Amino acid sequence: MFYQSPLRTITLIAALCFLAIYASFGSYFAREIVIEIIILAILAISLDFCAGFGGMVSLCHGAMMGIAAYFYGMMSVKLGWGLTASAGIGLAAAVIFAGCVGWVTARISGIFFIMATLAFGQMAYTIFFRWRWLGGDDGMGGMRRFDLSAWGVNLNDGLIFTFWALGILLLVYILSALLLRSGFGRSLSGIHANEGRMQALGINTATIRTQAMAFSGLMAGLAGILAAQHTFYISPELLVWTLSGEVLLVVILGGIGTLVGPIIGAILLVLMKHSISAYTDYWHIFVGLVLIFAVLSGGRGIFGQGEYWWQKYMRGQHA
Amino acid sequence: MKRFFAGLLVVLTLLNGGVVRADTKVGLLLPNTGVLAALGTAISEGFLLALDEAGRSDEFTLITEDTEIKPAIGLAKARKLVYQDEVDVIVGVVSSGVLGALRDFIHGAETPLIVANAGNNHATGRDCSPYIMRVSFSNGQINRPIGTWLAEQGVKTAYTLAADYAAGHQMIESFGKAFTDGGGTIIGSEFTPFGQTKDFSAYLTKAQAAGADAIFVFYAGSEAINFVKQYHSFNIKTPLYGSGFLTSPLYVEAQGDAAIGVIAALHYLPTLDTPENKIFVDAYRKKYGTIPSEYAVQGYDAALSLMAAVDAGGNSRAALAQNLPKIRYTGPRGPLRIDPKTNNIIQNIYIYDTVRKNGVLTQKRLATIPGVRDDAAGCKM
Amino acid sequence: MQNVAMDVSFWILQCLNALQYAMLLFLLSVGLTVIFGLLNFVNLAHASLYMLGAYLGISLAALTGSFWWALLIAPLLVMGIGAGLYFTLIARLRTAGPMNQVLVTFGLIFVFLDLVRIGWGDIALGLAAPPALSGTLHFLGINYPSYRLFIIGLGGTVMAGMWFILARTQIGAMIRASVENTDMAAALGIDVSRLFFLVFCCGCALAGLAGVAAAPILSATTTMGITILIPTMIVVVIGGLGSLEGAILGSLIIGFIDVFGAVLMPSFSALLTYALLAAVLVWRPHGLIAARG
Repeated sequence: MFYQSPLRTITLIAALCFLAIYASFGSYFAREIVIEIIILAILAISLDFCAGFGGMVSLCHGAMMGIAAYFYGMMSVKLGWGLTASAGIGLAAAVIFAGCVGWVTARISGIFFIMATLAFGQMAYTIFFRWRWLGGDDGMGGMRRFDLSAWGVNLNDGLIFTFWALGILLLVYILSALLLRSGFGRSLSGIHANEGRMQALGINTATIRTQAMAFSGLMAGLAGILAAQHTFYISPELLVWTLSGEVLLVVILGGIGTLVGPIIGAILLVLMKHSISAYTDYWHIFVGLVLIFAVLSGGRGIFGQGEYWWQKYMRGQHA
Repeated sequence: MKRFFAGLLVVLTLLNGGVVRADTKVGLLLPNTGVLAALGTAISEGFLLALDEAGRSDEFTLITEDTEIKPAIGLAKARKLVYQDEVDVIVGVVSSGVLGALRDFIHGAETPLIVANAGNNHATGRDCSPYIMRVSFSNGQINRPIGTWLAEQGVKTAYTLAADYAAGHQMIESFGKAFTDGGGTIIGSEFTPFGQTKDFSAYLTKAQAAGADAIFVFYAGSEAINFVKQYHSFNIKTPLYGSGFLTSPLYVEAQGDAAIGVIAALHYLPTLDTPENKIFVDAYRKKYGTIPSEYAVQGYDAALSLMAAVDAGGNSRAALAQNLPKIRYTGPRGPLRIDPKTNNIIQNIYIYDTVRKNGVLTQKRLATIPGVRDDAAGCKM
Repeated sequence: MQNVAMDVSFWILQCLNALQYAMLLFLLSVGLTVIFGLLNFVNLAHASLYMLGAYLGISLAALTGSFWWALLIAPLLVMGIGAGLYFTLIARLRTAGPMNQVLVTFGLIFVFLDLVRIGWGDIALGLAAPPALSGTLHFLGINYPSYRLFIIGLGGTVMAGMWFILARTQIGAMIRASVENTDMAAALGIDVSRLFFLVFCCGCALAGLAGVAAAPILSATTTMGITILIPTMIVVVIGGLGSLEGAILGSLIIGFIDVFGAVLMPSFSALLTYALLAAVLVWRPHGLIAARG
């Protein structure tokens, strides 16, 4: 079950403020880093939604993101559609892909589910890697950002785009939190806890799982369109399974099933990667060690562990 | 006070011999991690060696950024170099995908880029830019000469194999066109899944059964090592030809005897018998303990061109972009210059055979095709 | 007539290619699957051990001057590394749930990746096949590399040995009993944790063996672990986690799909194994041969 506790609200606000301040007062590259964090955080919230609350640990979230980015690029650059319509098509494509994966894998669980999602993700990757019309492995450029000049907003300004992305991150968080608090969210958590019981209660668990994946796909799709607009460039690396693995790492690092943890995880991973790679090319080893440490120290993740201590402390206060 | 410092500066400058040499900021954009990391290392070694030999290391501030092999990351790093570090010039780029991603940005930012590997034909063809200079090679430049040469040797039919990605297709297309123009016929062609294929036995068996006079392939890195060894182990009678990356000095030792007799084309051989190359090979061996590869020479020439361009007109972005295409000199790989029509290098292509001499694998030059240049192919500066 | 003979030998060659790839996959997947069956542990670092096997094998071959010593010693060294992992991490994670096991061993892949880069560099390394096996063998009207035949033989021997141990020996009976029901086996007086350790070590040694055996054909690269991880996991998952027969069946299916996909429909060959994996899981969510009822 998901609760938007005061601690979570405070952490969320603190994280968003940190990102906003870092982007406002940092150098050019600080803004790049902030957007990288935001995109990863949206993906991680999207994964936490289905993995942390629905038990569906997917390795195809990168593919969901990439599909949205590619359809956005295909419609707007290759077919000359409007940007909003293209973004709609991109999101729809991600939702349909994610929904199909969710529907087909509804009976599969555990490591088999991980492998099945990996298979679907890699199929999508292979298709875009080989699709010459969309640039194949070279990728394609020419993406544009939304034109909001009617509202006096120029997204081509780096700082404004960063705040726009922050807004999307907040939107994704609020949407997920609302959905998880609804009856749908309770059913999803119920399936995670005991699928058999939910079926006995007459709930069509396959439908719930499909819907959860589809919603997750929508959020991953938003990350994809943001990524395409940010770099003006997309390539098949967006879809490859190791990226999905990185997203999973972020969720675990921050705290699975906490929704705000993934944002903390994304901040930590990206900052760690950049600060270590400034000194050595062997940054994988640190990421690996941190991951091992995160799991061995209880598996709650940074935010999860903090929350656990906090709750223990509060209980001690009341007793 | 201000005037005092200004005066001091003038005095110091005069003491320095009257030359004010502001530092040139260079962004080195290379893969330091991932499957292409070894290429990135070789290029930066060559680059550093050239600065070192000229005694001008202090004059160039290097800022290194890792592109991995991801176009989007490469683009983000290039933006960082231009906007934050405000570099005067960017050097590097190994994968064609990264080059494709950088093209529009470099063109718009009017920051010169010296390409030290990526061979994508379009970068100096239909997508060319006055700010993109290539001192390495183009995919077509390497493969056309060997197509023509092979046809001249009386080879009538060929079967081609390559990794299934953009560079693989460009290499094979260029070869095929030249070979067909020379009177040969391509009787079969296959592209193998890139990065996934480690065992080529199924394709080798197919190529053998096709019964062509020659097998022509493009593979690089670990795929090249595996392909050559597996070709050898199957004892296939059809002779093997390829782009020179197939038996690159960088990893020919890993192929061992299997590389002997493979004929390939490349823009540099460490065994070239010229004074420029002797100096380069000795210096490289002294500094790094190994024979230089074509990747190292690309880095070396990138630095030589850069230094020459700085000397010609200073280190502003505009001056570098203007002077880099005028570079011409004789380097380790022979005479080279930049083609003003495309900004691609004009250089010799060597056709060579790998042989064992005094216990080590080395390259024996069979033919030299001098001054190979690409046609404009839609390039409008 | 000539053409028919050509055709037949062509297909025999392709079958051998498929069989050889299948055997390599089997050597890798069997350790993974038996460890899962017995310990309920998903060890993704198995792929790193395979990579270490190849690199250690190459260094040992250079050191001793003989491929055969490398083939013998490298798996033992890898087994030692595996034993170290067992005491530091694996034993501790036995009850931590599959998700945590996947994550920790995924972290290990990163660690080993960079350790190998630091130790052996970024350039791919090759290993020459032993002189006795460097030629080709002529039979059934075809020429086939002796070394590849050796791999087929090696895989077949391990397969037969595994079957014999599991089906005909006391320790095999103990392993089977423990896979079936760990608590019951412990109640019957089987030292389950020692058995686990033994099986884990053997699995690691097999991964190392596969690494050395593969090096002369596939050479050693820093990405070889991550690259082989996917097909190995596919084999294990298609076959059914924990099942020896499943590993055999899965290896053969993937080996043949891969080779014949490349021959018959090359444009789709990159997609085929993934499509097959998805299809199998949708049809049978626990793999073709489920280890437990």
